[in-house]
Amino acid sequence: MIVPAAESSDEVFVARAAAGDDAAFEALVVRYQRRVFRLACRLTSETDAPDVVQETFLQIYRHLSTFRGDALFSTWVYRIATNVGLMHRRARARRPAEPLDEFLPRFDADGTLEATPDALRIPSRVDELLDRHELARKAQAAIDRLPDLYREAFVLRDLEELSTAEVALVLGVEPATVRQRVHRARLLVRGYLSELAGGRP
Amino acid sequence: MRQIVCVSGVELLMEYMEGALAPDVRAAIEAHVAACPRCEAFIASYREMPRIMRDATTIEMPADLEASLLAALRAARGDARPRDE
Repeated sequence: MIVPAAESSDEVFVARAAAGDDAAFEALVVRYQRRVFRLACRLTSETDAPDVVQETFLQIYRHLSTFRGDALFSTWVYRIATNVGLMHRRARARRPAEPLDEFLPRFDADGTLEATPDALRIPSRVDELLDRHELARKAQAAIDRLPDLYREAFVLRDLEELSTAEVALVLGVEPATVRQRVHRARLLVRGYLSELAGGRP
Repeated sequence: MRQIVCVSGVELLMEYMEGALAPDVRAAIEAHVAACPRCEAFIASYREMPRIMRDATTIEMPADLEASLLAALRAARGDARPRDE
């Protein structure tokens, strides 16, 4: 049974689901599955996402009774999905991707950006220069090359568009730490896009 | 007033964008960027990047997966009732 979203808050469904109401649990699944799927694709891959989604909702189901309501249910969902995604990546244990450090912006001895203004704008044109499929593949490759801590923060903040405060709650760190990780990820990904579009960091 | 060059402005950019800086540092960054075409260009591409990455990595959940997820969860729940913790 699918209950319209406006009818009841997450917390009401969680309480009912924890009391054994499977329809309430399934209403939560339906409400969150698309968000969890999109997040899972970004944190792992389109191929791995279905397993990550299923495992995420199973963990939510198993631990419904531990959800205390001192956080938003959505925060809890993002936290579990992020952890499941990370475990999934580790289980794959593929060859570690090359880090992105070479793509950081470069400065001269005076602290001035080395590249010209035109060159510095190049990353903004990558979506005009690459075909859609190629860009999708390279964009995912860029996410994969980020260190775990940066990847989680960047995906949640910039791709899922959570606020810095929400990301801090999901990851259990201070907002300043989120800003530091997201900023570093932005510099790395921006430089990577620049190289893809034929420029320099 | 704190002296800002490109490297220190870039370092503080996200904190600047989120309003996490002291007013004097904020003013120093604005003064530098207003006179620095490199920083202006850098910031434009820094702001644009998340949208490009978002658009390039948005994958909608396939309809058949929506259907199979509920079925798979029902099957898995059979042996995974919530624990009393």
